[in-house]
Amino acid sequence: MKKKIVSVLLAGAMALSLAACGSAGGSGDSAGNATAGAEDSGDVDYGSGTIKIWVAEQSVDFTKEQAQKFIDENEAYSGYDINVEAVGEGDAASNMITDVASGADVFVFAQDQMARLVSAGAVSEIIGDYADFVTENNDEGSVEASKMGDSIYAFPVTSDNGYFLYYDKNVISDPSTLEGIVADCEKAGKGFYMEVNNGWYMPAFFFGAGCTLTYDTDSDGNFTAIDATYASQEGVEAMKAIVNLTKSTAFYNGSSVSNATNAAAIVDGTWDASAAKELFGNGYACAKLPTFTVDGQTYQMGGFGGFKLMGVKPQSDTGKATVCLELAKYLTSAEVQVERYKAVAWGPSNLEAQKDESVQADEALSALNEQLQYTIPQGQYPQGFWDLSTSLADDIIAGTYDNASDDQLMTALENYQATCESYVTK
Amino acid sequence: MSKDNKSTAKKGTPLSGIGKGLREIGRTFTEGDWTAKLSFVIMGFGQLLHRQFLRGIIFLAIEIFFIYYMVTFGAVYISKLPTLGTSATYVDKSGNVPVTIYGDNSFLILLYGILSLFVLFAFLFLWRVNIRQNRQIYLLKKAGKALPTSRQDFRSLFTENFDKTLLALPNIGIFVFIVIPIIFMICIAFTNYDAQHQPPSNLFGWVGLENFKNLLSIGGSGFGSTFFTVLGWTLVWAFFATFLNYFLGMGVAILINKKGIRFKKLWRTILVMTIAIPQFVSLLYVYKLFANDGLVNAYLLKWGLIDSYIPFWSNVAIARVLIIVINLWVGIPPTMLMATGILMNIPEDLYESARIDGANAFQMFRSITLPYMLFVTGPYLLTAFTGNLNNFNVIFLLTQGNPLSMDLAGGAGYTDLLITWLYKLTVNDTNYRMAAVIGIMVFAVTAVISLVVYRLLPSVRDEEGFQ
Amino acid sequence: MANKNKEKKTASRSRNRKIGNAITYAILIIISIIWLFPFVGLVLQSFRSYASEYGGMVAYLMPKEFSLDNYTYLFSGDCSFVRWYLNTLIVAVCAAIFNTFMVLSVAYALSRLRFRGRTLLMQFWLILGMFPGFLTMICMYFLLQQFGLTQAGAIPGLVLVTVASSGMGYYVAKGFLDTMPKALDESARLDGASNARIAVTIILPLAKPIIIYTALTAFMAPWCDYVFASYVAFGYSKSYNVAVALQRWVWTNDYQGYFTRFCAGGVLVAIPVTILFLCLQKYYVEGVTGGAVKG
Repeated sequence: MKKKIVSVLLAGAMALSLAACGSAGGSGDSAGNATAGAEDSGDVDYGSGTIKIWVAEQSVDFTKEQAQKFIDENEAYSGYDINVEAVGEGDAASNMITDVASGADVFVFAQDQMARLVSAGAVSEIIGDYADFVTENNDEGSVEASKMGDSIYAFPVTSDNGYFLYYDKNVISDPSTLEGIVADCEKAGKGFYMEVNNGWYMPAFFFGAGCTLTYDTDSDGNFTAIDATYASQEGVEAMKAIVNLTKSTAFYNGSSVSNATNAAAIVDGTWDASAAKELFGNGYACAKLPTFTVDGQTYQMGGFGGFKLMGVKPQSDTGKATVCLELAKYLTSAEVQVERYKAVAWGPSNLEAQKDESVQADEALSALNEQLQYTIPQGQYPQGFWDLSTSLADDIIAGTYDNASDDQLMTALENYQATCESYVTK
Repeated sequence: MSKDNKSTAKKGTPLSGIGKGLREIGRTFTEGDWTAKLSFVIMGFGQLLHRQFLRGIIFLAIEIFFIYYMVTFGAVYISKLPTLGTSATYVDKSGNVPVTIYGDNSFLILLYGILSLFVLFAFLFLWRVNIRQNRQIYLLKKAGKALPTSRQDFRSLFTENFDKTLLALPNIGIFVFIVIPIIFMICIAFTNYDAQHQPPSNLFGWVGLENFKNLLSIGGSGFGSTFFTVLGWTLVWAFFATFLNYFLGMGVAILINKKGIRFKKLWRTILVMTIAIPQFVSLLYVYKLFANDGLVNAYLLKWGLIDSYIPFWSNVAIARVLIIVINLWVGIPPTMLMATGILMNIPEDLYESARIDGANAFQMFRSITLPYMLFVTGPYLLTAFTGNLNNFNVIFLLTQGNPLSMDLAGGAGYTDLLITWLYKLTVNDTNYRMAAVIGIMVFAVTAVISLVVYRLLPSVRDEEGFQ
Repeated sequence: MANKNKEKKTASRSRNRKIGNAITYAILIIISIIWLFPFVGLVLQSFRSYASEYGGMVAYLMPKEFSLDNYTYLFSGDCSFVRWYLNTLIVAVCAAIFNTFMVLSVAYALSRLRFRGRTLLMQFWLILGMFPGFLTMICMYFLLQQFGLTQAGAIPGLVLVTVASSGMGYYVAKGFLDTMPKALDESARLDGASNARIAVTIILPLAKPIIIYTALTAFMAPWCDYVFASYVAFGYSKSYNVAVALQRWVWTNDYQGYFTRFCAGGVLVAIPVTILFLCLQKYYVEGVTGGAVKG
């Protein structure tokens, strides 16, 4: 009997929590029913609310400005407020997947996150006129990147998500061969930086040596087939090249200028251009990636040409869905891409924007473009691929294969490839 | 302790308790008057009629709330618990813009289902209390005694029922934010809730013991060998982290407390800085110090002590040792503080007589200081050990579990503890099903170790003995 | 002869002691340098000029040029550092007040009152405590989300979670209360004082050290809370606490050259916490020695 008070309070707490739950649970249903809105027929009511946008820190101000401009110019969308938050392209996908409901309505993400987003239902498919807009106006690689299977899921924003070489011309005399760079670095007591233990940078060696590793996907975000030739003589050569590189005292694992304390050369992307200029000062120079030589054979380093994409969250309200799609379309249009290049130096994916004079004149972008002819457009890769690549490279860096025979390297690569194949679901 | 033991012994087995309870309910019904009988259906009726307004109103309100809750909300979720939802989300692509119509949300079904079950149990329990109170009314009336009034009920909260007043709020908090989530996550271990089955767009469902099989299956994509590697390192880490900190902390305390050493307070204050400064600042900075191109390597190179940098974080063995060493930096000060206090309590004459017997410093430490410390701090060592099993900050802020390896599955690295692995599975891979299984394993490991140590330390069990 | 021997012995003993002390001082000085080095480094980095030396990592300790660039940035309009700081302060203060209340309630009830189910409750909580906290992160997130206490409401949400579960950390406080003689309560009870009265007028004043210890530890924890704080506040920078915001500068690639700013922010976080801790050190020591040992 004495337990009464505790119990009463307990029940009270539950009552409170359930009342709150009840109201939250209901809202989902009502939103679902509100879909029967009129189709485009003159003055449609698009409703009102807030559109949450996630972009990387550096482009927050730019995006805020452009999105506000979009709302101001379109009377019909005036019911919507814009809220831009700094959420990096990597985090965006993880956060969207954790809780779609609290996620952004429009968000920029790196393309390697696409499959996760689609299979978690955190990004809306793009159909009809919007799909045509994507395919007609962007370069081929970026259109491929925004697809899962045959369905389009995102608007391309940039085509500059690739990497190339920044170097200090006071130290590096010839940036065209890896051996030359490493030798110059060793002589000067400086470092050659490359984040080899990242699934994104590591293929520079494997693809360069002539291996392939690509996946096919269906429109639900599943991986249906794989084309991989890592477990081959070429693969062994590439791996040897990495082993040799990591043995050098000049090698540092990392591709971020601001974390590099001793760099004379660094493999990095356009987003670090200003930091690299700062670091190398008057020695600043860019070039395509160097060649590497294994067992007398010389290969050009390859790698990925990647893309940044803009996705829209699945909406259950036609009005808001339309506004979000229109906004994403506007933010990835030729005009805004040129503006974005001018503001934050992101290389456009839009064909028309790419022809703009200011874009053509950019030093880092032209180094990237030179490199891009040796790369493949980055397709879709399963989440496990990235971890697995880090695992392989971590083993190499830790010295596991320093004295390994070709057979041992082959075994490791067979193991790697088998695991890559295991990600195929059908 | 002995008192409590007796009371549990009196209660007997739970089964006989239930039997007794049922008999009492039956007796209340047959022997009670019509108000008691009506109270079986309308809770609080008997109390109200006997002018126990506070009790009566509360019970009545509970019943009304319960019925309302179940009808409008709870029953639906309980009924969906066995399947965790069947109607899938679909996308209407008939127009120019795709419109998503959400179906069942497995996550909320499971959460509210569990919650509703608890509401149900709580209600049954309160109903039982209600019956017992009616029986009490009947008994008191038969004995010709006065019934407790509302005012007396209220006052009892500060006298004989003061424990309920004190524990009410903490109990509610722990129930809502610890008990419910833990039960929820234990359930998740038996579902396929992962990146491919992510509500609200996808449903997840029950899969039985599949996740546990996966954790223990060795070879292929199974987590088996990874789990045992990580578990092994977790135990090694906890052992060294606990005992190195303990003995070195004690050593430092002895040094500082040595006779004739001045500025005791200064030394202590310097050491204590690592407790005061938030770890996310200090440990992150230390991590950067030991980077391949960090300050430590840079100066070692500059002074010509090494030819090429030491791969502090990418070599498994060095990384593991370094973590343990850096942990000393944060772990010694608390032990030092504790040891200081205890060392002062050791009677000085023990040392004096030892000194007369010609014992040297080390002998005195071995035969006086150490046994005393171990005796008094036994429980502390146990909590420190289990705390280190789950020492997230040091690992996560230093290596984040890296380096990874082809030999390890599930994104685990060689310096990962079970707890950091669990974190990575949750946040990076949204692989909640396996995270839940690992969480249960962490519990199992902690429980087993505690139980074993518990038996070795009689002083822990004898709670009252300390008073 | 015997006397002489004894003199020799004491002389050699005092010489031994001197050597021993010298060694001890040497060890203590080395330890102090090791212990302080990272903090000195942190402070030095925070004063490195952002304008002339960029904010990234460098391989030297002494800045070439000292400046307040990084601190000015933290307080400029471009950065919500003040907001993050206040967020953390709110959580810390609330935790210090309410956690102490909860912990002491529990500790008092379990230590000085005897009631049915007491050992059962303690055992149940002991078992609960063996589950790792991060296990339930996703569930807690959605629980809070149902109350609207994530993102925009993340700070009240954090306070709620911290306070609600704080009762389980009663061990140290209970250990302390256990050491107070039972006769205190009993004599008061004979005088007719109620349990509540005994708690407030007799035990509470004597429990000052443990109150301060509990409040101090509760106050310090939120400054380092990164994991759950970032989990509930994602995508809403106004709800970040300092740990979440500063971590992003170090770990996310979007923030190039923020390292010295991180150091400056870290220094600002460390200063008040450290001062507070050093002032109340005495109570902390009493807490760890008195309470922890009792388990």
